[in-house]
Amino acid sequence: MTSIFLPYLYTGGVHKHGLILELLEDLGGYIIQKVVVGTEVNLIMLIPEKDVHLVKELSDELLGVLLVASLTGVEIAVVSPTLASHHLPHSACDVAEYLRHPGANTNMIGLARGMGRRVSLSMDYERKLINEHDIAVFTFGSFSDCIINKKPKLFEGIEIPIVVTGGPELKTEEVPGADLYVGGIGRVSHRLRHKNEIDALDTLNEEIGKVADKIRKQLAKDPLAVLPARVMKEIENQVPAISRVLSPAPITMQLNGLRVKLPYDEFHEKFENLEFDEGVVLSELANISRSKMKNYILIKIKSKSDVGFAI
Amino acid sequence: MNALETFIVESAIDSEKAFYRQIIEDNLSSLKLGPAIGRIKVVLRPEDSLFQMVIILRDVGTKVTTLDMADVEAKTGASQEVVISIKKERYIPELLKKLWERHGKANIRQPDRWTVAVDSDKPQEEAEFLGKMIVADPRHTLHEDLVDFAIRATPEGFRVRYHLFKGNRFVFVASEESMQKEWVEEAGAMLEELLAGGKTK
Repeated sequence: MTSIFLPYLYTGGVHKHGLILELLEDLGGYIIQKVVVGTEVNLIMLIPEKDVHLVKELSDELLGVLLVASLTGVEIAVVSPTLASHHLPHSACDVAEYLRHPGANTNMIGLARGMGRRVSLSMDYERKLINEHDIAVFTFGSFSDCIINKKPKLFEGIEIPIVVTGGPELKTEEVPGADLYVGGIGRVSHRLRHKNEIDALDTLNEEIGKVADKIRKQLAKDPLAVLPARVMKEIENQVPAISRVLSPAPITMQLNGLRVKLPYDEFHEKFENLEFDEGVVLSELANISRSKMKNYILIKIKSKSDVGFAI
Repeated sequence: MNALETFIVESAIDSEKAFYRQIIEDNLSSLKLGPAIGRIKVVLRPEDSLFQMVIILRDVGTKVTTLDMADVEAKTGASQEVVISIKKERYIPELLKKLWERHGKANIRQPDRWTVAVDSDKPQEEAEFLGKMIVADPRHTLHEDLVDFAIRATPEGFRVRYHLFKGNRFVFVASEESMQKEWVEEAGAMLEELLAGGKTK
């Protein structure tokens, strides 16, 4: 695992996009997600650092666009106090949708009893579900009093970085327990489309990119035993059932693992025995457990120091 | 009274006032309530978990009968039927619903967009009756919409609610804590203020 991979998003015509896939395979890069919409294709991929220019040249030739997708391989939980019309579809859905632009996979989570000031609370199940992600984004409302004094109790038990959005312009330090606060995205009843709202969403994407980079740096100090992208490739090769899963992202990459959208009881042994060329199986390198999301499989990769070696 | 001739939102912090004004505007427009409301005042006190809203409505239309929205004609000839020629398309769904209830779907034809024909044994009498039939009551739907609007505009956690709809006045108080008499009284005072405030009719 000597080469460094950089996340990129290719957008272009479906015509000849197979050339990009072939080139990436030759270079040893990874395709994270491929979305075909009509005649357009979006490819989210990891490209070896020294070969980026080759992909760039090919993409220019095909008249496509190659952009840095800083949130590739990050699974984000967008948590709204409830699923009532007060919070959805605007602004929580807009936040979730906008975070997908730079490559993140987002899941919307509506708490059962997250509304209100005194009465808001989260359940153990919900906290565990949120903790399965890389970053949690809490979408709060318009009152600074609620955001500062009342809502932070929803952060109890959340172990992943917490990003908070709300209407008023506050400093991150003012919101207890939050790792980042982004203002200007409060409770709204219209689609976020005004300039200042889009600006706020851009800031959110940018700042979350920084949070993700911080996590990546932390991980680099004690690297993972195997790259999540490599596990993804092996799953695609060794577990054919994954190609029949209809979810948009059958294998969702996380910074330190993967979520595989196959039933746990039927498939977990297959994953435990997933073999790598080096002769090790996945259960030696990762913890495989039942996800709190439906009955999916959650793979959390151990660090090099835990396993003793990295492949 | 003009539509939205007075529109006040009060809160301790100025910027929050603007956010809330926007929420209320959005909800008014999505429920198409704007033209029905003359004056509106909203007071927010998040630290007390309190939301108060008073509204003075403009004159809402009277009940709509079939003759208000269409011409009704009895045909006695080879086919005995009542022909309704629509003038205002807006109330067609309500009209059809009533006709279906009375005559059954099988006896009602719609040869084109502007015509509804009802088979009847006594077309004369039936035409007279249908002409006077009340098709829609804007006041009733307005009440439903107002309550819906109030719930949408209130912060979600404020589940303890008081509401009063009398004549053209609408008072709404919501909180997370148990309702206090003073809050309702305050809202009453706000209503008086609004009544005295804006321009007279």
